[in-house]
Amino acid sequence: MSPKFELEIKQLNKEIRILKKKLERSEVDRARLEATNRSKEFLLKRVICDLQEYQSILEKKSSDLEQAFNELTKMKDKLVETEKMAALGSLVAGVAHEISTPVGTSVTLASTLMDETRSLMMTVKTGQLKRSTLNNYLDIAKESTNLILNNLNRAGELVQSFKQVAVDQSSLEQRTFSVKHYLEEVAISLSPQFRKDLHTVTIEGNDAIAIHSYPGALAQVVTNLMTNSLIHGYSQQAKGHLRFDVTKYNDQIVIQYRDDGCGIPTQILEKIFEPFFTTAREKGGSGLGLHITYNLVTQKLQGRIAVQSEVGKGTLFTIELPTSVT
Amino acid sequence: MLKVAIGHSSDPDSLEAVKEVIQQCQSTLADQTPQAGLLFAAIDFDHHLILQQINEAFPKIELIGGTTDGEISSVLEFQQDSLTLMLFCADDIEFRASIGRNVSQNPEAIARQAVETAKHRLTLPIQLCITVPESLTTSTVSILQGLKAALGTIPIFGGAAADQWQYKRTYQFFNTEVLSDAVPVLLVAGKLFFSYGVAGGWRPIGKRSLITKVNKNIIYEIDGKPALDFYHYYLNNSAPDAVYPLAVFPPGQEQFFLRGSVGHDLERGSITVSGDIPEHSVVQITDASIDDVVMASQTASTEAWAKYPGQAPDAAIFFSCAWRRHILGTRANEEYQAIAHSSKQVITGCGFYTYGEIAPLSDTGQTFFHNTTFVTLLIGSQ
Repeated sequence: MSPKFELEIKQLNKEIRILKKKLERSEVDRARLEATNRSKEFLLKRVICDLQEYQSILEKKSSDLEQAFNELTKMKDKLVETEKMAALGSLVAGVAHEISTPVGTSVTLASTLMDETRSLMMTVKTGQLKRSTLNNYLDIAKESTNLILNNLNRAGELVQSFKQVAVDQSSLEQRTFSVKHYLEEVAISLSPQFRKDLHTVTIEGNDAIAIHSYPGALAQVVTNLMTNSLIHGYSQQAKGHLRFDVTKYNDQIVIQYRDDGCGIPTQILEKIFEPFFTTAREKGGSGLGLHITYNLVTQKLQGRIAVQSEVGKGTLFTIELPTSVT
Repeated sequence: MLKVAIGHSSDPDSLEAVKEVIQQCQSTLADQTPQAGLLFAAIDFDHHLILQQINEAFPKIELIGGTTDGEISSVLEFQQDSLTLMLFCADDIEFRASIGRNVSQNPEAIARQAVETAKHRLTLPIQLCITVPESLTTSTVSILQGLKAALGTIPIFGGAAADQWQYKRTYQFFNTEVLSDAVPVLLVAGKLFFSYGVAGGWRPIGKRSLITKVNKNIIYEIDGKPALDFYHYYLNNSAPDAVYPLAVFPPGQEQFFLRGSVGHDLERGSITVSGDIPEHSVVQITDASIDDVVMASQTASTEAWAKYPGQAPDAAIFFSCAWRRHILGTRANEEYQAIAHSSKQVITGCGFYTYGEIAPLSDTGQTFFHNTTFVTLLIGSQ
């Protein structure tokens, strides 16, 4: 056989070997691929069933969550309302306490005056009136009526302040008012809530800075901030200084309120405006005070509020308000 | 300068095939003597004969390799039942091969010793390690831990030897020896540039479940039930199939890796997977399409080319998962076509389909035992 044919036969033999092997392999592979396709089909059907099951579970969860969210929103609104009422309630209690002193003093003085008058009338009837007795009565009458008038005037002033704040808190009216003067009135209305021998309140600023806004909302903001300082900022016997500074920059009125209390730790500082966040739940804190404050400043009063605090030094709230709300 | 020669034959006759492969290599090498080689061979060959022939043609060659589930090269592209040999010549690069025998007796210590033995014979700084370890007798992850212990941060590349889906016995090659239960290593040192890319293509589908009982690479319970139930649920009561590996999310992690089944125990309901799984991992069954697989191979290749530090590499070595070939079926050659097209130039290369790939993770650089991935390793002279 010629070398050419030999090579050709060798080549053909090789090709036959390769083809035979490929055929064998192809049979094995085909069977395996068929099995794989069957299992793949089953797997995909299973996964589709899983997905459908999860879809219905998710739909149910989603509707449950929506319902729970709606209920929570309702509950929050209710709590906010309750908190407002509680603020008003504590104001009324404060009014009663503050007025009871001058009124009580006036009653005592009036009854003393009445006793002295009765005694004088008896003396007159018996015809034993002496000039010295009359002079003594007149001195007592003058001093008593003087004190009664002062006390009743004080009570009148208090009623006037409370009336304005209370009306503002319960009404939604806008009006133009002096910011500093109004802060003073609110501070007076809150004075029954803190011991004057322990805490001092200072309000600095130009009387002429006026704002056209919702005084009731501002009253509630100030009430919440001061109440917070008093509840959280100071230990029982600690002396505190609460200070307001009212300034004006262009069309913005800036109220800076600071206390020198214990301060707020950094890790909770960013949470204080969140609803239901409180560190005094055991004392009955609802965690809504500063949340309401934030909402009132940013929505009703159309301003901004920021907080800075240092533990052991105190807390500063900066409120920026437009001079006129729209 | 690094010179690389490739031979690839699809002749099922062992002698004819090895002769053809040697001849192809010799024609590339001319008179140069190769220092080292990688041999990837289908399971049905007479491996002793092949190694003997190579050793006769290239005495003193440092050779490692193993059996495969398919072979790829720049000569014949994708083949099954074929033989491919890659030979290296260089005067400023050192190659040293070593072997760890009976590795299942103490995978970590034996693997470590294999590296130490090769290291002692090197004079230049080590650049990388190539290995083709056993995959059926022991945990490849444990072998890898031993290699890493000896190599530190030196990257390791390779693939676990395969046996064409029979899961009976794989073979590893070391010079003229054909072994099982062994870990051959080839250390490369000196003036070498290299880069690599790794990509998968499998995606988790189905429900997320928790591994509740596991010991290394044997899963006993998933969601408090026998682990086999998990696969039975998805595969119509069939045995676990490595084509659907588990996506494993280690506790607290969003990134997953894949572990395929390599065996199971009907009585205990346990599944043995291709690598260790951390306790309390979350698992999901996975699936891949042909397009996903091809696209991922291209990604791995593109990544390797993009990262190559030198002018141009001299050779590419590929390690692709046997399960990828299974998904690709008759379109297996598309994987090679994809990487060939994504390369900047035609490059000499070879590789094989493995039972698990070894390559560093892209983000941490830590060598990792992968499944269902495609690894491209580019090498060249400095």
